[in-house]
Amino acid sequence: MTVTPAVEEEEKKGEKPKEKFKFSFDYFNESRLGIFALVVGAIIAVAAFFPSLPAFVKGIGVMAVILWGADSVRKTARYGLGTGVPSIGVLAVGFGLVGATTGMAIGSEIYHYFGSIGILGALAGVAFMAVIGYVSGVLANSERFIGMKIPGLERGMAELAMAGTLAIILECSIVAGSWYIGDILSPIKGYNIAPVAFIAVMFILAGFGMLQPYNSCLGADERRGRTLLMAIEIGGINCIILGAVATLSLGAVQGVPLLVMGAIVWVVFYRAYMKACMDESYATPGTGLIKTLGG
Amino acid sequence: MPVISLFAWMLVIVFLAFVACMFEDLESDVGSQSNPNSQVQLAPEMGYIHRYYNKAISGEGLSYALACTIAGTIALLLLLQFEPTYGPKAAILAIPVGAAVGSISHMIRSSVCYPGREAAHKRFEQPIYLDVFYGHLVPIATHNFIAVICITAIAYIQSHLTVLSGVSGTSNPFPLPLLCLIWGITVGAIGSSTGDIHYGTEREFQDRPFGEGRRVIYHGQICRYGDCGIRTSKDVVAFCAKYGGPATGLTFGLIVLFENWRTVIGMMLGGLTGAAWNPGIAAASGVGLGIAVAIVLIVLNTWLVRWARKKYGPFVGE
Repeated sequence: MTVTPAVEEEEKKGEKPKEKFKFSFDYFNESRLGIFALVVGAIIAVAAFFPSLPAFVKGIGVMAVILWGADSVRKTARYGLGTGVPSIGVLAVGFGLVGATTGMAIGSEIYHYFGSIGILGALAGVAFMAVIGYVSGVLANSERFIGMKIPGLERGMAELAMAGTLAIILECSIVAGSWYIGDILSPIKGYNIAPVAFIAVMFILAGFGMLQPYNSCLGADERRGRTLLMAIEIGGINCIILGAVATLSLGAVQGVPLLVMGAIVWVVFYRAYMKACMDESYATPGTGLIKTLGG
Repeated sequence: MPVISLFAWMLVIVFLAFVACMFEDLESDVGSQSNPNSQVQLAPEMGYIHRYYNKAISGEGLSYALACTIAGTIALLLLLQFEPTYGPKAAILAIPVGAAVGSISHMIRSSVCYPGREAAHKRFEQPIYLDVFYGHLVPIATHNFIAVICITAIAYIQSHLTVLSGVSGTSNPFPLPLLCLIWGITVGAIGSSTGDIHYGTEREFQDRPFGEGRRVIYHGQICRYGDCGIRTSKDVVAFCAKYGGPATGLTFGLIVLFENWRTVIGMMLGGLTGAAWNPGIAAASGVGLGIAVAIVLIVLNTWLVRWARKKYGPFVGE
């Protein structure tokens, strides 16, 4: 009874990644994915200073960074945190808000006085949060302080802080057109509201992109590929919402491509994720009675 | 008359809060979110295959913050677009459309949880029942819609109170999405802390001695059979709608009522805006009233706990 489905599942697993999606997560192991997302996210975050950069490119950056964050949450929480998974995701964007504010303020200030070299200032916020995240990980793990002894917490915290910072910077620049702090705080053209009014939705969207994949897939037979498929799917939903906001703040030329890209990503990865779950589960009967073990 | 209109809007907010939290609790029961879900998650691992819907988006507070914030964002976008032309009437379109987007997003997010978590239970032979999967999505979306539309309306009233009540300076300075975030976290937290107890003890663990916590040996041993046949999460809602949901709504409604009531009374004693306005007296009398309410509630609760212990026997540990 138990052997047959397991064998079938092995076969399906072997052939599945080739035909379903070319972007296999086997190559992108945890370290490679981190480096890839950090490089892509940092380049796009620096370039996001210029309002001419299309919003959907920033959307790709947001999705890469959220994918990385979700992977870091998985890495940190896999050890056995059940109810702590959402807390870690929210902690990441909490770090992110502080780091993004720091980075955007430093970058804008340098830009103000020394010209375009200042756009690298956003990375100062990322580096700052990497240090803060690492220190908080050490504080939580070290026996001298809290002594939680979670394996890899220091690295996970640093990664989460960086991912959260990049996500918030990119989302701010999607809504405001640039992460120049004057643009974020001054009213949107024609409306009596500043882009910073949408900070709540940026916060919660980035947070859920990171915390929900592992929280929803958690279990004994959780598989990294499935979890990351969901992270990209949630990135797609985020792009849809941010696209709607950008349509108002920047106009349809910026907003609509982002919205359409989000919708396409969502449809593709939602299907891939659902297929993966249905194929890899024990069984998917239409309905049925439950198996009873001794009452 | 401004005090009366402030008071009336306060009561509208209280009523909306009552409805919102009641439906929030029932929605979380549809999919067994939050605390009771940990036992639903454990059940297959202990060998108890079940037909509950495992809706693990996150805790209730956060997932409601998400749905309400998305609703508030879409509502704000529509308000910004249509308010200059149609005035406050734009809210008639903006709030329901925002809430619809929020609840659809919530439904999509809950639809990925059940397959994800049950696929991760493969080695315990827990199947994904497709009728459970499809059958729970619409109840989740509809219950969520009612809760989210109420929260968005509350946030709208708060951020437009100057226009609505005619008292200057009463509008909340925070933008609509941020108010929705705060209210969403609050409604989720109250629904989780109050409503889950009824769902957990009365439906998932019916044979528990009075006052006893769940022993480790019984973990995952949830009631998988209903009054007739096998229980799904949908069946829980009809039961909880009789007591757990309204009690949760009452809790949240009372919190909002007492909190706003003392503020309004404080404002009145402080001279209510304008020339006679004295913020010091307003704040002091508001805080004083709040302390008085807290003392009355503590006394009432102590008396209630004493009465319950006497009536239903001692706690197991005593």
